[in-house]
Amino acid sequence: MLPTLGAYEVSLIVIVSVNVMLALSLNIITGLCGQVSLGHAAFFGIGAYASAVLGNLGVPFLVVLPLAGLVGCLLGLLVGLASLRVRADFLAITTMGVGFVFVGFVRKQNWLGAEMGLSNIPDHGLGDAGFVGVCLALVVAIALLSAYIKQSWLGFGFAAVADDEDTSRTLGIDAAAYKVTAFVIGTFLAGVAGATYAYFTRFLIPGAFGFGVSISILAMVIVGGVGSIWGVIVAAAALTLLPEFIRVVNDYKIFIYGVLLVLTMRLSPGGLAELVGRLPIFRRKAHQRSSGAQP
Amino acid sequence: MLYVELVLQGLVNGSMYAIVAVGLTLIYGLLRVLHVAHAGLFTLGAYITVLVTNATGSLVAGTLISMLVVGLVGMVVYRLLYEPLLAQPPYVALIASIGLFIAMGEGYRIVFGPYGSSFSSTWLTERISFGPFSMAAADLAMLLGAIALLIFLAILMGRTRLGMAWRATVTDPAMARSFGVDTIKVRYGIFFVASVFAAVAGSLVSVLNNLVEPTMGDVPSYKSLAIIVLGGLGNVGGTLLAALLLGVIEAFGTIYTGAYLDRDAIAFVFLIAVLMIRPQGLFGAR
Amino acid sequence: MTDTPTNVLTLEAISVRFGGIAALTSVDMTLNQGELLGLIGPNGAGKTTLLRTVIGVVRPTQGRVFLRGDDVTSLNVDMRARRGIALTHQIVKPFRSMTVLDNVVFAAGHAKTGSVMRALGTRSRSEETQRARGLLDLVGIDRYADAFPSALPLGALKRLEVARALATDPKILLLDEPLAGLNHIEAERLADTFLRLNAGGVTMVLIEHNLGQVARICPRVVVLDNGRKIGEGATRDTLSDPAVIAAYIGKEVTHA
Repeated sequence: MLPTLGAYEVSLIVIVSVNVMLALSLNIITGLCGQVSLGHAAFFGIGAYASAVLGNLGVPFLVVLPLAGLVGCLLGLLVGLASLRVRADFLAITTMGVGFVFVGFVRKQNWLGAEMGLSNIPDHGLGDAGFVGVCLALVVAIALLSAYIKQSWLGFGFAAVADDEDTSRTLGIDAAAYKVTAFVIGTFLAGVAGATYAYFTRFLIPGAFGFGVSISILAMVIVGGVGSIWGVIVAAAALTLLPEFIRVVNDYKIFIYGVLLVLTMRLSPGGLAELVGRLPIFRRKAHQRSSGAQP
Repeated sequence: MLYVELVLQGLVNGSMYAIVAVGLTLIYGLLRVLHVAHAGLFTLGAYITVLVTNATGSLVAGTLISMLVVGLVGMVVYRLLYEPLLAQPPYVALIASIGLFIAMGEGYRIVFGPYGSSFSSTWLTERISFGPFSMAAADLAMLLGAIALLIFLAILMGRTRLGMAWRATVTDPAMARSFGVDTIKVRYGIFFVASVFAAVAGSLVSVLNNLVEPTMGDVPSYKSLAIIVLGGLGNVGGTLLAALLLGVIEAFGTIYTGAYLDRDAIAFVFLIAVLMIRPQGLFGAR
Repeated sequence: MTDTPTNVLTLEAISVRFGGIAALTSVDMTLNQGELLGLIGPNGAGKTTLLRTVIGVVRPTQGRVFLRGDDVTSLNVDMRARRGIALTHQIVKPFRSMTVLDNVVFAAGHAKTGSVMRALGTRSRSEETQRARGLLDLVGIDRYADAFPSALPLGALKRLEVARALATDPKILLLDEPLAGLNHIEAERLADTFLRLNAGGVTMVLIEHNLGQVARICPRVVVLDNGRKIGEGATRDTLSDPAVIAAYIGKEVTHA
């Protein structure tokens, strides 16, 4: 007998799920492949708006999900290809620019609701329990996908490109293809997260996909530990839930974000994963095996 | 004539961007770190200027004290935030800087309130006319202030030991060290100078708008990042030109493309377009 | 330019300029199948630049690079690497986030990482791990297998470069000062390994200051000085060439 879910619990689960999906998707681009993206919210947003448009054309929710992902990854493909042109230190700023251009564009589009927002997103028709089920299934699926990628030779290639792109080329790695692939996968998943978000809130404003959101997603990846899948999941959940459970924190939430980022980078740049990795039991385990990725 | 007024307005904004961006590019050239928190010092400069001016009645005192304090804060930020992270991959310093910037902005909101403060006296909104054009006194102050600062910068970079040391370190840090350049002193010196510039920019803007509020650093933060990329990272002259150019492009751009792009987006559309054609930026070296 | 069937690499009038400096001026070089060619010359002669031009990290200002008759001058580094060229770096570049073993395992998986789709589809590393251990053993650093590169002395890092390059099954192996940092015994042993590999069919170019070992294992050498080729031919003869000796005198010469 499943516990009955009130509206509050449902919204918590959905929002945490969406944030976890976003963090995992950015983790593939920035964590596994080392490409710092400061505009991830744009792909989240384009998926959300695309799902609203498709939904209004009568496409059922479960079909909208992958289609929104596709829209996200088309933009991601563009950005990925463009990123090949610029040097690594420019990439962060270029992706930041993409985020601003997206919001700046949507703000002026009346057919997308402009500043006032888009509110005619249809009902997903799955009921609360069904929707929550879909959210959790997506989270699990994306987590498993991330783990698989990390253990596969694709993940190995990502790690090499992240470590030293030029040297990886001398070993025959088509670094460009790997980087674009990371973008395509990560932005597809962000688009799916966007559709999920849209069908839950049923109201979209451009401000929900701005630079601040991009930074908070990045914060979840960094605090969790770049590349570490479980770390990113825990960080995303914690950073979403903490303000909810500690009401007094809510007003200082953003301030704490900032401080957390600073402290994490100063004390444990590898995030939670590094912190945990330093604990004695885990250090012994790491010693025992050499080849083979740890999720 | 509309065009001239637009250009003037663009130059005024551009010179504000320039003063902020120059500090940013000095630091990037030196450490290869994107000092996003620089914009937080911009805001701090503005707050100190307004508070001290309102307390003492003297704008000059306010500005000078602001410059000194912010300069020192900048050096502290280097020591506590960046120096320990120099050995880490570059994204670590970037994230830490973003975190500091966010915390600073929120800090101002928490301490000073979200609505901001103003100057008690208002001679600065008077308009000055020359010929058929007129400008607000504050705008003129901004332009003149910018010119003065940039002359100072040119002298600093060209004639002083710090300037030459900076240029040497940017070109080849190891070689600079072997020639006896004290990299530590150069770093503190550059952070001081850059932060002073940020404070001046913040003060000028607070004078321009007669307002200081917690989020005033947001726009300069990301725009100056775009500008230093356009100008060629570490290229001071290029950054200045890029800043002025951006100011003018925005002024015209909002008129012509305002229907489907907002102002911030214009800066980045310009940036992305330039980078696709010239990946090293407008004035960067290949 | 006639290409004989045994000609695997041809450099034609290669000139490279960095800013105002001419690193290489009109250098011609051919490499035959199965050769172990020595590339020698005083410091700053342009030897490393020449090898980097072969792999594509450096683009020549003038001249062309031919691989088995194909003009590869405009090909990317990774494309040339996938055609069978491997390079050990003079300034070592191990992947610092991976263990020594993983560095070589990764290189050994070159067949799988050559295409993104193929890479996505495979997880197994057992074959490559086995090969990697063998290679680490071959160059003598198997005791460092689970360590990270930051813990290794330079000599071991140099040998890691060699092991990693070998893991890609190269047809042409470019070695940039692989013996630097090794004591006499280690250098001799590694040089013997090169001889064995060469006998097994790997074509090699060897940059080395250790002229003793060069004389021992390279039948032919090419000599560069100040970006130009100043000598070429059978090793013993070339090393006694007055022009070559003059180039070395007055510059730093390192012996084993």
